[in-house]
Amino acid sequence: MTFWLTLAGMVAVTFGSRYAGLVRRTDLPDFWIRFLHFVPVAVFAALVTPSLEGGLGEGEIRVLAAVVAAIAAWRTRQLWVAIAVGMLVFWLLRIPF
Amino acid sequence: MGTTDTGGAFGRGFWALAPLWLGIIPFGLAFAVTARAAGLSLLETQALSALVFAGSSQFSAVGLIAVGATGLEIVLTTLLLNVRHLLYGLSLGRILRLRRRERPIAAFFLTDEAFGITARARERSFLFLLGVELSLFMMWNLATLAGFLLGAAIPDPTKLGIDLIFPLAFLALLVPIVRTRAEVLVAVGSGALAFGLQKSLPGGLPILLTGVAGSLLGAFLTRRTPVDTTIDFEAAAREVA
Repeated sequence: MTFWLTLAGMVAVTFGSRYAGLVRRTDLPDFWIRFLHFVPVAVFAALVTPSLEGGLGEGEIRVLAAVVAAIAAWRTRQLWVAIAVGMLVFWLLRIPF
Repeated sequence: MGTTDTGGAFGRGFWALAPLWLGIIPFGLAFAVTARAAGLSLLETQALSALVFAGSSQFSAVGLIAVGATGLEIVLTTLLLNVRHLLYGLSLGRILRLRRRERPIAAFFLTDEAFGITARARERSFLFLLGVELSLFMMWNLATLAGFLLGAAIPDPTKLGIDLIFPLAFLALLVPIVRTRAEVLVAVGSGALAFGLQKSLPGGLPILLTGVAGSLLGAFLTRRTPVDTTIDFEAAAREVA
């Protein structure tokens, strides 16, 4: 039930933002245009670090896998390549030597 | 023009977006696999794609669910991420005259990509825009369904450490949009702040607060650079749904 209430809220704010722009006639102040530009950067970065370590004491190899994934993302700009490379490195590093 | 051949306008819009399918399919697959890892059902995952239809906020919602965020925190983070659609609507309203009853439909399916394609196109009509929008909507939802079904092939997710997919996905979303000095500073600062805050604050609050603080920092750092009112169409088309 909580999920569907949350979903309804997500739909409301998303549709609201899309619709408000189409019916408004005035412009946003420059400061807020700059603010909006940085929202994805700030939110995505904030979603990376808290879940990076994980709870299984594998922090080091998870961070290492993430570094390789970041390089893959930077070189290829492909979401799925970065995820696949990162998971592969993680699974390889997990194999006990 | 435009009004004489309205049936074709929808089709031309539909195909104008088709080159972006190649980027949308893996993105939709990745979203569905991530949603599954967060414990969502097929119906819930598909409902996000069909009703919210905004990739970055769908990704962040499942990431937030995974860290135990409250519904309110998820809705506010969604608002933070999707308020930028205001800009597309404002710009679109200037280059395209929509009837009153067309506006809610155009708004519901409006995405970064649809805006980018329509703003660059020579042809501008409601039906062309709708064709562009529904082309993305169809492929996004098909990719979501396929991704969820494919995800069933992955055995025992917790043992495999599949939760690493969350930071990896957000890292892969982050890296391509960080280009300038200010963007690097905001990314590093936000990552550090969220990491620090999670030790003392529960659930999604560190992410929400960091989202606001990081964006304020970015706006402050770039206060002397002129705002590009024309909006980078190429960038908008490249960015996430």
